[in-house]
Formats: sequence, C-alpha cells, structure tokens
Amino acid sequence: MTFRLWPRSLAARTAFVLLVGLIMVQAAGLAIHAMDRIDLQRLSQARNLAFRIVGLYRAVELTAPAARADVLGELRHGPGLSAELSAAPPVANLPEMPPREQRFWRINLNLVGMPPPHHWRGMQLLGGPAWHRIIVGMRLPDGEWLNVSAAIEPARPWHSPTFLAAFLLMTVVAAGLTLWAVRRLTAPVRTLAAAAEALGRDVNAPPLPEDGPLEVATAAAAFNTMAARIRRFVQDRTELLTAIGHDLRTPITRLKLRAEFIEDDEQRGKVLADLEELETMVSATLAFGRDARTGEAVSALDMAELLRTLLDEAGDARPEAASRLEYEGPAHWTVRARPLTLKRALTNLIANAVMYGGSARVRLVPPASVGAAGAMLTIEIEDDGPGIPPGELERVFEPFHRGEPSRNRETGGVGLGLPIARNIMRAHGGDVVLANRPAGGAKATATLPA
Amino acid sequence: MEQPPHIMVVDDDREIRDLLARFLEKHRLRVTAVRDCRDARRAWANGHYQLVVLDLMLPGEPGLDFARWLRSQSDVPIVMLTAMGEETDRIIGLELGADDYVPKPFNPRELLARIRAVLRRAGDSMGGPRHDGGSRPLRFAGWTLEPARRRLLNPDGVEVALTGGEYDLLLALAERANRVLTRDMLLDLLRGRQAGPFDRAIDVAISRLRRKLEDDGRNAQLIKTVRGGGYVLAATVEHA
Repeated sequence: MTFRLWPRSLAARTAFVLLVGLIMVQAAGLAIHAMDRIDLQRLSQARNLAFRIVGLYRAVELTAPAARADVLGELRHGPGLSAELSAAPPVANLPEMPPREQRFWRINLNLVGMPPPHHWRGMQLLGGPAWHRIIVGMRLPDGEWLNVSAAIEPARPWHSPTFLAAFLLMTVVAAGLTLWAVRRLTAPVRTLAAAAEALGRDVNAPPLPEDGPLEVATAAAAFNTMAARIRRFVQDRTELLTAIGHDLRTPITRLKLRAEFIEDDEQRGKVLADLEELETMVSATLAFGRDARTGEAVSALDMAELLRTLLDEAGDARPEAASRLEYEGPAHWTVRARPLTLKRALTNLIANAVMYGGSARVRLVPPASVGAAGAMLTIEIEDDGPGIPPGELERVFEPFHRGEPSRNRETGGVGLGLPIARNIMRAHGGDVVLANRPAGGAKATATLPA
Repeated sequence: MEQPPHIMVVDDDREIRDLLARFLEKHRLRVTAVRDCRDARRAWANGHYQLVVLDLMLPGEPGLDFARWLRSQSDVPIVMLTAMGEETDRIIGLELGADDYVPKPFNPRELLARIRAVLRRAGDSMGGPRHDGGSRPLRFAGWTLEPARRRLLNPDGVEVALTGGEYDLLLALAERANRVLTRDMLLDLLRGRQAGPFDRAIDVAISRLRRKLEDDGRNAQLIKTVRGGGYVLAATVEHA
C-alpha cells in the first residue's frame, strides 16, 4: 500500500507546503530559543556557584588553620552547597570533569576572582552537569584542601508550561489561518472549473461574476468572453440549420404532392420513401435547433404508459421487430416533464435500439428511495445488436457524428438522434449514457429526477 | 349523383395550391384554391364550402386571424396546416375551433384522410347540436380527452400516452358515445395513418385502449364489443 503524501488538489498542495514550512520555522525557532535559554541558564548558574565557592575559599583562606573547621561550620553555604576540609584532594564516586567542562568552570572561577596560585594544579574538578553535581577541590596555601560539592540543576529549555501551551496555540492558529487563506485564494479556480464544466453541458449557462482580486476578475472576464463567443457560434450554426429546415418544408411538400401523380406505383413508392427520409432529417435538424428548455409546459405524465406506447408505435412501424420489443417495470409511474419533448428523446433512443439492434428491451427502474433528494428514475433500453466500439460511446452524442460510415448508409440517420435525446434529458435534469452489455449489444441508460 | 364536397384551400405557395387542388380533385373533391386571407374572404362570400384547408403561415394577415374570423361567420370545419414542431400555433388553432391539423410537410394521403374524417364528422352532426364542443375537452368516467392537445388525462390529471391511431379511435368513440361504431367506420379513421393490415390494427388499438383506460379486456365496461362487428363507448360524455 502506498500512502499518497503529495495531495492532488491545488489548495491541499499549497496548504501542505505552507504548513510544512510553518512547522519547520516554528520548530527551528523553538530550538534556537531553547538552546539559548539553556546556555544562559548554565552560565548564570555557573557564575552564581563560582561566586559562592570563591567566597567560601576566601573566608577559609583568611582564617587561621586551627579555627578553619569552626568557621566553615558557622558559614551558611546556602542550598545545594556543602564544603569540608581535608588533607587530600577530593575523592568521590564521581569521575574527573571532562576537559571542556573543566575549562568552563575554571574560567568562571577565575573570572570571579580565584587567587592566582590555584590556576591549575591546585584545583581539582570532578563531576559535571551529566551527574547533576560538581565537586571543586581547592588547595589552601598551607597544603590543606577545601572540597566544595555543589548540586547542578539541569537546564530547562523553557521556564513555565504556559510558554509551551502558548507556543502550540500560536502554531495551531497560524495553521488554521493558512488553511483558510489557501481555500479562499484557490476558490476562484474551483469556480472557474465549475463554470467550464457547466458551459460544456449547457452553452447558455450564466456568466461568472467578474469580481474579486485583479487576476481572478481578469480570468473570469476572459472566460465570459470565450463563453459568449462559443454561444454565438453555436447560435449561428443552429439558426442556419433551422432556417434551412424551414425553407425545405415547401419543396418537400411540393414533391410529396407531385409524387402522387406518378403513375408507376413502384417509382411513386420509392420517391415517397426518399421524401420520408428527407423529412426525417429536416425534422431532426429542427428538433435539434429548438431549445429543449422552452416552448412546452411541464405536466404530469405516466412514464410507464409512455414507454409502452412508444414500443407499440415502434412495433407498428416495424412489424417484423414487434415481437422483440419488451417492456419491464411498474404498470404506472407518474413523472413531471415536458411530454412532447420527453417523448421525442425516448422515441430516438428506442428507434436507435430497433435500428441497430433489431430489438428493444425497455426497463423502467424506479428510484430506490422515493422522495429522497437526488433520487433518479432510470430507463434502460437494451438491444441485441453489435454494440458500439468503446471509443465511440461518447462521440455518438456529438451532433452529426455518425459512427462508421458503412452502418449509416442504409439506416440513413442524420447523427442527431442521440444528441437531441441527451439535450432533452439534460434539460430535464437527467442524462443519457451508452454502454456495451457484457452479453453483447448496447444499453442506453436515461435518468430523470424522480 | 351527389355533388362532391366543396373545399377551400388557403396556401401562399402557388405550386402547392395547384398540386393540392389537382390531388384533391382526383379524389372527388371540388376545390377552390386561394393565396391569402383577403382572397379567402372574397371567395368565402361568393361560394358555399363544406371545409377549409388553411395554412397558418401566410404572408400578410396571419392564418390564425382568418380562422378566428371564419369561426365568427360560420361553423365550417377547418383543417390547419401547421409548421412542424410549432406546437403553440397548433394548440391556439385547435382552441379557436379548428377541427384538425396536419403538420407541414404533410403526406397528401394523410391530409385526404383527415379531410374525409372531418367531413364525415360534420355530416354526422347535421341536424343535431352543431359543433358539439369542437376542441373543448371531453370527460367520461373520470377520464379527460383534450382535442386541443391531442392527449388523454387519467382521473388524477396525469397524461396517459396514446398513439395517433389510438387517439383518433378514442375521439371518434367519445364523440359518439353510446352509439355503435362499425368496424368499417373505424377502419376509415385509421386509413392513411398506418401501414399493414387495418383489420387487425383496429383490434390491437382497441385492446391497447382498454389497457390504458384500465378497462378489463374480458369483461369490458367502458369500450364494449358489439356482436356483429362494432364498438361502443358506454359512458356519459360531458363537454367541459
């Protein structure tokens, strides 16, 4: 298992980098502060002890040898300090002080006024911070030794627990602020992505608000300009198609009438079939040009009955396929939709199944939980045809895309049936997708808010 | 022999006008074709017509205005030619009192079948209360049939889909409720609409209608089979 340390989203990445940086800076700051504090504590402790030890030595040195023990007993050493007189250098269960420590203590002792004769050999140092105790043995001028033992308090990196709590609080607040700022700064990127997605689904999606920071406003304005250009382009094309469709109606009507005067029955039939095909293309073009959102009021209709009626109609038009048209699902299911528009979408899907697959099994699947938010009614339309090459599954929804040429020569589609169906279903808040069935054949799945 | 019915055709395209006139005359109808509403008014004043075929997309005065005027003058049946997909025009026209519509580009045979059906319907109601409702909704046994939108609503107001043939059949039955319609009369209705054997088509359409009206096929109460070949809608029909 690989744990992804590097997050995917821009906000998370930025936040990640900033937070790692913040933690490193905070950790370094804490370390520098603590080290400095430890140094200072050691120095002040050493200076303090040095004063006291030197003071003790001075007092003992100035006293006559016979009275020394009494004087030493009288002197108050203060906490953590004890002294004794001895004929020999100190012997204790402590090792000799390491050289670095020795130097540090000697410098400190000398700095506070240790008399010169005791520079080096007249002074013995044992222990150190690691043992929490030092022992300083000093030879008095007459050869006697004054051995002082002092407790060393371990240096603490910070004085009070409040400091650590405050430090942690500061870190957490800074991290929260960072996350908030990053989310805020990357929000326009998300908005832009959502707008691009919406534009892909619907050219007439509302424009982006052109406010916020300068760069964001500029990007939004550029995006809106692009969307307007695309919209105009699509509109021009649709208007052109619609105009052609309208203009073709009169000549097609004339031709249909003329065909009625052809004496040869076979020729008349063929001419009429050609005209029928031409009319189908024109009506598909006009249907595509029309906005699926306007022009018809939403009303209640029985979806189950609509599907069965469409299958009946498909069977009437192609009696040879009638036995392979099946409906499966509830006997009644009421939806609110634009009846004629919805009928056109479902007719196209069923016609496709019959045209390419020679059969259509329509299944109406009610949502699992009725009334729940986002509950979808599903309509599955399966056929037993050759299916669709995987690379074409989405491309067949592009207007005027017609799959492989060989397939369409005889069927004569315009390549608008599926785009129209998808436009309509999306305008209803649903969608249409195509898939290949494992058992062979294609399956169209249409959804509609329940 | 009986005088053939006189039809007025209003269409702005000269070729369509001429061809349609020829086509209808070939099928034993008398035709006067005019190009716009002004000429149509003049022709209306000078002749006697049994039916008007009116293109709604006319230059100058819109066809809908002429339909309204015509309705104020007479109850003559009107068959509209509407633009494909222009549902609003169609609905307004039917609500104004037009009797039927055919989308353009139309199939001439379908237009002929519609003209005949409308003429037959008009002939039927001769002497009775004239134009009983036209396009006003028909209510029977809780169901509503809306000619203006060519749709059927169940008692809950939910639209139940019908094929074109089923709609024509149900409308014919509802307009002549409690009167037996012979198979021949019903066959005429479906002709020009469907390919294939008409005979079976009637039975199939009736059984589908029964299913949609939740009328038990074996013991039908709403659409009853009449021994000797015919059907009757056994219900009180109200014109809403």
